[in-house]
Amino acid sequence: MTEDAAKHEGERTPSILMVDDIPANLRILYESLKGRDYRLLIANSGAQALEVAKRASPDLILLDIMMPDMDGFEVCRRLKADPETKDSAVIFLSALDDAADKIRGLELGAVDYVSKPFNPDEVAARVDTHCKILLLERELANRNRQLELVRDRILNSMAEGVVGVDADARVRFVNPAAERILGADAQHLLGRRLEDWEPEQLKRAITRALAERREIVVDGLSLPRAGREHLPADLRVAPVCASDRLEGAVVVLRDLSDRRRVEAKLDRTSDELRQSHRELKEAQMQLIQAAKLESVGRLAAGVAHEVKNPLAIVQLGLDYLAQVVELDGTSIEVVNDMQHAISRADTVVRGLVDFSRERDLDLKPYSMNRILADSLQLVRYELVQRQIAVETALSETVPSRMYDPDKMQQVFLNLFMNAMHAMDRVGTLTVATETIVVAQDDLGTHAKQVGFLPGDRLIRVRVEDTGPGIQPQDLERLFDPYFTTKRQGEGSGLGLSVTRNIVTLHGGSIDLENRPGGGARAVLLFRPAQDSAKERDEPKEDPAGR
Amino acid sequence: MSQKKILLVDDEQALTRMMRLNLEQTGRYEVREENRGANAVRAAREFMPDLIFLDVMMPDMGGDEVAEQLKEDPTLKHIRYAFLTAIITKRETGTGAAEISGETFLAKPVKREELLAVVEELLGD
Ligand SMILES: Nc1ncnc2c1ncn2[C@@H]1O[C@H](COP(=O)(O)OP(=O)(O)OP(=O)(O)O)[C@@H](O)[C@H]1O
Ligand SMILES: [Mg+2]
Repeated sequence: MTEDAAKHEGERTPSILMVDDIPANLRILYESLKGRDYRLLIANSGAQALEVAKRASPDLILLDIMMPDMDGFEVCRRLKADPETKDSAVIFLSALDDAADKIRGLELGAVDYVSKPFNPDEVAARVDTHCKILLLERELANRNRQLELVRDRILNSMAEGVVGVDADARVRFVNPAAERILGADAQHLLGRRLEDWEPEQLKRAITRALAERREIVVDGLSLPRAGREHLPADLRVAPVCASDRLEGAVVVLRDLSDRRRVEAKLDRTSDELRQSHRELKEAQMQLIQAAKLESVGRLAAGVAHEVKNPLAIVQLGLDYLAQVVELDGTSIEVVNDMQHAISRADTVVRGLVDFSRERDLDLKPYSMNRILADSLQLVRYELVQRQIAVETALSETVPSRMYDPDKMQQVFLNLFMNAMHAMDRVGTLTVATETIVVAQDDLGTHAKQVGFLPGDRLIRVRVEDTGPGIQPQDLERLFDPYFTTKRQGEGSGLGLSVTRNIVTLHGGSIDLENRPGGGARAVLLFRPAQDSAKERDEPKEDPAGR
Repeated sequence: MSQKKILLVDDEQALTRMMRLNLEQTGRYEVREENRGANAVRAAREFMPDLIFLDVMMPDMGGDEVAEQLKEDPTLKHIRYAFLTAIITKRETGTGAAEISGETFLAKPVKREELLAVVEELLGD
C-alpha cells in the first residue's frame, strides 16, 4: 500500500505520510484524509517511516510518538538530521496531552501536533492548514528563487564584488566580481571564514560590522591576491538584520584599479599641465633674463671701467716704452702683438657697452663680404698663430644692404673667437656667403622666430669650424646671456647673446648647429634690402663694397 | 721755456703715471698727479694748471663733480679740462677727443698720440 501510494507522488499534489504502529489509528487517519487532493503514504514503524520518507520525500508526515523500537521523537530527529528528509514537515500525533511532549516535539523541528483520540475533522483541518502553509512556502521559495535569480543576475553583472557572510562571518555567497577581486573562485570561498583572509583591515571591518551592527567603510585597501599584484579596493561592510536578529553581513568590494586607471589618466593630464606650467615658467625665466639684460647696462659700465683702465695703462706704457727704447725687429713685433691684444680687449668691452646701451644702429649701405673680410683681418694674426686655416666662399652676387658695419664686425669677431677657442689649435675656419631661396630645413629656431619662411630669398652667411661641436644639452642655452662653458675669466658668456642681439636689430637671424661631419656652424640669415630688386639687377657687385 | 702745467686726476695711480711719463717725455709739459677726486680742487689751487684731465668715475668724487667745483671757483674757472672715460666708447669719440654737450671727452684706453693731440688742441692758442 505504501509502495503504491508512493508511486503516485505528483508534482503539485501534497504527499502525506502517516506513521502509526496501530493499524486502527492509521485507518482513522486514512479515512479522514482520503478523497481530498492528497497523495497518502503509510508506515507502521519508525524504521519504515524513515525509509518511505527518504524515498518519497513527503511534504507532511503525521508521526505517532508512542511506537515500539523507535519512538516518534527519534524518527523526527533522524528525519531532520538527514538532508534528504529534513524538509518534510512533521506533525506529531500524541495521546498524551502533555505540554512537555509538545514542546519537545516542536524543539525537534515539528510544526504542529494533533492529540489522540483523533477527531477526523480536526486532523483534516490541521493537515489542510499545513499543506496550505507548505504551498505558500513553496510559492515563497519559488519567488525567492526567482528573486535570487534576479539578485544573482544583478550580483553577477555588478562590477562590485559582493560577499555574503553569516553571523559567524562565514562566507555564504560570492558574486563573480568578488571572485575576481579576491582572486579565488566561489568553491574556495564559500564556507571559508573571513578571518582566514588578509588583509587585517578586511577581517577587522567584518568583525566590527557584525559586533557593532553598523556599516563599516574602509577606503584604499590593498588586497593581496595569490601570485598577482595587490589590488587596490574600497570596502563596505553592511550588517544584515532580520527583525533585530543578526543574519550576517554583506561585504561590498570595489575594485579601484579601474579608478586607478582613470587616476593615471588624470596624472597624465596633470603631467601635461605641469609641462605647460614649466613652459610658462621658462617663458617667465626668459622675461627675467631680459630684465637682467637691462642690468647688464650697469654691469657693463663697471666691467668697462675695470677693464679699460688697465688697458689704458698698458697702452700708454707701451707707447712710452716705444718712445724711449730703441726697438729692434723682434721687439717691434712684440709691441705690435701687444697693441693687437689691447685693441681686441677694447673691442670686447666696447661690444659689452654697446650691447647694454641698445643704441640704434648706425646703418650704412654695405657689403656683407666686406664686413667679413674686415672681421677676418682683425683675427688674422690670431689665426696664423693657432695654425688655423681660413677658407672663404664669398659669393660675389650677394646684394648690399643696410648694416651697421661696426656692430656686424663685432658679430663676426665673436663668432670667429668662439670658433678659434673651440678648435684650440689646428683646424679650418670656413666663411661662406650666398643668396638662397630657403627651404624648411634651412630655418633654425631663431630664423623661424624672426619670421623667415620657406621660399624666402635670403642672404645666408655661414661660419663653420672643425672643433668638437656643441654638446646637445647646451644647444638651447648658447645664446643665453652669461652662458659659457669656458673657465672662469676666459669667457663672459655674453658673446653669442650680444651677437644675436645685433643680428636681430638688423632683422636677421642666427642659429648655431652641429655640422654632420663634426664641428659647429653658425648660420646667419638676412633679408636683402627693400630695394634689393634694383641691386639684384646689377649683374656684378664689387665684393669690397663701396 | 715756459712749460704748460697739466694736472692729471684719476684714481688709477699707474694710469696717471703713464700719462705723466708720456707727457713729460715730450719735454713741453710740467705734470702733476692727483689720485683722489676729493683732493682735485685743492691740488688745482696749489698747482694752478693750464689743463686738467678728470676721470669721470672715481670712488670718492667723480670728475663731473670736480668740474662743477672748478667752474664755481672764480680763481679756477678759467682752467681748461677734459674728461677721461671708460664708458664712452672710441666709436663715439672717434680718434682723439669728442665734444659732448660742450665738454671734451677722451675714451680709455688713450693712445699716446691721441693724448698729445688733445693736449695740443686744448692748450694751443
Ligand atoms: N664654435 C663653437 N663650438 C663649440 N662651442 C661653442 C662654439 N661657439 C660657442 N660655443 C659654446 O657656447 C658658449 C657660449 O658662447 P658665447 O660666445 O656666448 O660665450 P663665451 O665664448 O663662453 O664667452 P665670451 O664670448 O663672452 O668671451 C661657449 O662657452 C661655448 O661653450
Ligand atoms: Mg664667445
